[in-house]
Amino acid sequence: MTTLQHEMIRSELEEVVGKEYISTRESDRLVYATDWFWLPQMWLDRGAQPTLPDFIVHPGTAVEIAEILKIANTYRIPVVPWGGGSGSQGGAAPVFGGIMLDVKRLNRILEIDETSLTVTAEAGINGSVLEWALNEKGLTLPHYAASANCATLGGYLAPRGSGTISTKYGKAEDMVLNMQIVLPTGEIIRTPIVPDHAGGPDYFHLFLGSEGTFGVITEATMQVDYLPAARLLRAVLFQNLGHALGAGRQLMTRRLSPFVIRLYDPASTATQVKKVLGYEMDGAYMVMGFDGDPDIAALQEQKSLEICLALGGQDLGREPGEKWWDHRYHFYYPPNGLHFPWMYGTTETVTTFDKLEKLYWAQKRAVEETYADWNVNYIGHFSHWFHWGASLYSRFIIPEPPQEAEEAIRLHNRIWNTAITAVLENGGMINEHHGVGLKLSRFMRRQYGPAWPMLERIKKTLDPNGIMNPGKVGF
Amino acid sequence: MLDNVISTLENCRFCLMCRHVAPVGMVTNQEAYTPHGMALLVTSQQRGLATWNAETVGIVFSEVDGGNSRTHCATDQPFEEALAAVRAELVVQGLAGTAVTQLHTHLTQWHNPYQPQLPQSATGAGQVALFAGDEAAYLWPETIPAVLKLLSAVGMEVVVGGYGRNNGLFAHSAGFPDLAAQLWQATLDELASVGAKQLLLLSAGDFYAFNDRRGGFSRPVSASAKVSPPDFIEVTDLLAERLAAGEIAFRKTEDETPWTYVDPTHAVRVPERHERVRGLVTAVMPTPPRELFWRKERAQPVGSTYIQFSSPALAERLTRARLQDAQASGAQLLICEDPATLHHLNRYAGEYGLRVQGLYELLAQRVIGHQ
Repeated sequence: MTTLQHEMIRSELEEVVGKEYISTRESDRLVYATDWFWLPQMWLDRGAQPTLPDFIVHPGTAVEIAEILKIANTYRIPVVPWGGGSGSQGGAAPVFGGIMLDVKRLNRILEIDETSLTVTAEAGINGSVLEWALNEKGLTLPHYAASANCATLGGYLAPRGSGTISTKYGKAEDMVLNMQIVLPTGEIIRTPIVPDHAGGPDYFHLFLGSEGTFGVITEATMQVDYLPAARLLRAVLFQNLGHALGAGRQLMTRRLSPFVIRLYDPASTATQVKKVLGYEMDGAYMVMGFDGDPDIAALQEQKSLEICLALGGQDLGREPGEKWWDHRYHFYYPPNGLHFPWMYGTTETVTTFDKLEKLYWAQKRAVEETYADWNVNYIGHFSHWFHWGASLYSRFIIPEPPQEAEEAIRLHNRIWNTAITAVLENGGMINEHHGVGLKLSRFMRRQYGPAWPMLERIKKTLDPNGIMNPGKVGF
Repeated sequence: MLDNVISTLENCRFCLMCRHVAPVGMVTNQEAYTPHGMALLVTSQQRGLATWNAETVGIVFSEVDGGNSRTHCATDQPFEEALAAVRAELVVQGLAGTAVTQLHTHLTQWHNPYQPQLPQSATGAGQVALFAGDEAAYLWPETIPAVLKLLSAVGMEVVVGGYGRNNGLFAHSAGFPDLAAQLWQATLDELASVGAKQLLLLSAGDFYAFNDRRGGFSRPVSASAKVSPPDFIEVTDLLAERLAAGEIAFRKTEDETPWTYVDPTHAVRVPERHERVRGLVTAVMPTPPRELFWRKERAQPVGSTYIQFSSPALAERLTRARLQDAQASGAQLLICEDPATLHHLNRYAGEYGLRVQGLYELLAQRVIGHQ
């Protein structure tokens, strides 16, 4: 971009949002250079200059966003929507520079409907702030993302996120009724008032999982729930991971409605559970929770415990379950979480029950055997359960990766190739809830096969100049 | 010099979990003004990816002091200490801006940033002293006579000390740990000279400065301390205890103006104080409060921290955000006991159709059986 172009774009952006809502400061450009994706973080960690956005723009309305996108189309410059920057996939990394579109000024709650139990809010509202506002009315948005303190409502939806209690309440995409979206060409549209209807093709879900490549979510109406009167948690220890998975499957297929099943594999139990909760155990540690009316929750818990015990589970009681609940986010943040100088990746996937255990062992074997020379650690847990299957949240960790940044990237990408190949060859999806971003973008064609060109045509139609978040989600 | 805090900065660099309560980040919606952004900036500077210049140094001196973030930290990272250390390092390198340097000059010369006057020395003797400080002395002077009347009503005669002296927090926040310790120590020495064993404090900020930061401004303090620190207690806590014990009582006002209590700056640093002080307010107000959204454990500061000197525009935005919160609650009367919070709210309250009332004065007007 020439200096003249830069100043032309800047002056036009200023006309839209005002001078105070545009930044080209060194500090801002640096902070917006990376989300939580290991790769750009590593790049920074090694002291290498990251790709910086050219402008950070803070629009206050959907109309302003529409005008910004028109400017971006005129100058053919990338636009990267930014909510909380908490994504782990590089979805908000400005890999081609351009405009960083920080939507956090769109943070109003527009309506809380206590009859229909919905909340309508602008997409830049902080997750925890929204939750506090709902709690004041005895309500909750049951999307308990580990990133809630920093993530935004739009950030819940754009990558099709799952929260801790999705097993009962669904993913973020299951809670949204309708959205306002600014299309890449600047039109502002609103999806039908409800998602479940027979009024023609469902374009609504196109935007869920598009991670800003199809447009910018600016407003959403979400289903909310009453805060539960009771929340019962307990833990069970299994010596056999397959039996534990069988127990989880029965809880789901018999519709006992756990709000959470978190099953740690023996490696995670020995490391993560020990580190965060302080329990030293051999086996697979499983937490299950039931909520709602106390008597119903207690009955669901009792029936579930019977299933676990019949499959060889050892009841650890409530305290280990409640302690996990109280510390459930501590697994992810410093100093407990993943950190440098490690190389790491969360290769989470989802599949049906018939394939789940096989996929786990196949991926574990592939990663551990291929990268044994690097002392790779493979750990995993099973979470976000469905009536038909569950998510495998697996991780590889290399404590001492190559010091040279370029070599580290090569190794990192080779491990991902291995892990995702194991997923695809064993009937899994490349991702369950972190999204695709930059990290998994190169696997989209393999994932979708003959259907991929159709998605490419949709992208071309919606975003003819390819300005929206280029390099992400396969586009 | 950052060796002791670098692990905290590296941890905060990889964490975004206090953004929902980071005051300046919230009013600006800018990533740089969060602990994550600031830690990323500092650690990047150490890696040669950023340089210290007026812009980047200005960012570092624009965060409040990390108190809200520390209170809500998912993994209890001492970000406030790290931030103070970074600022101290910038001060040592001569990179802090003019406003910060001026603050240092005023605090050194006058022990306060508000008036070119030295603190008044305590006179008399007694086992209980009241720390008047600089904020009550210069920003909301009605506080002190009201508090003395209330203390008298519960049978306490106190020595007033530290009149016109800062509690040390400004100096600590701005990167002058030794000066902070000197101010703190000067007050304790003054108390020792009058024989005080207990120090009453007017605000959450004073309590935090004396109780939680004792000896923590600078390592030499505890070694050179001439007296053992006395017991510290907030006046609101003392009055709440006496109210509960039936040793003091208040007439309710007849003013039914919709009101709210504003948890003052630094309130989140004093666990559970919010319920105790609300007990006092409801003793005099005839109607239930209109609660602010940003209250109790999630209370946010007004612009009364040291950034009123380093970044006055941001300080104003913090204050206006509280006034907007109050306006949205439907309240028309804002009650608080902290002199600095009252002063800053009062500067702009009229623009929002709001009125500000000192809690101590209100209680003093309504105390029963005392003229």
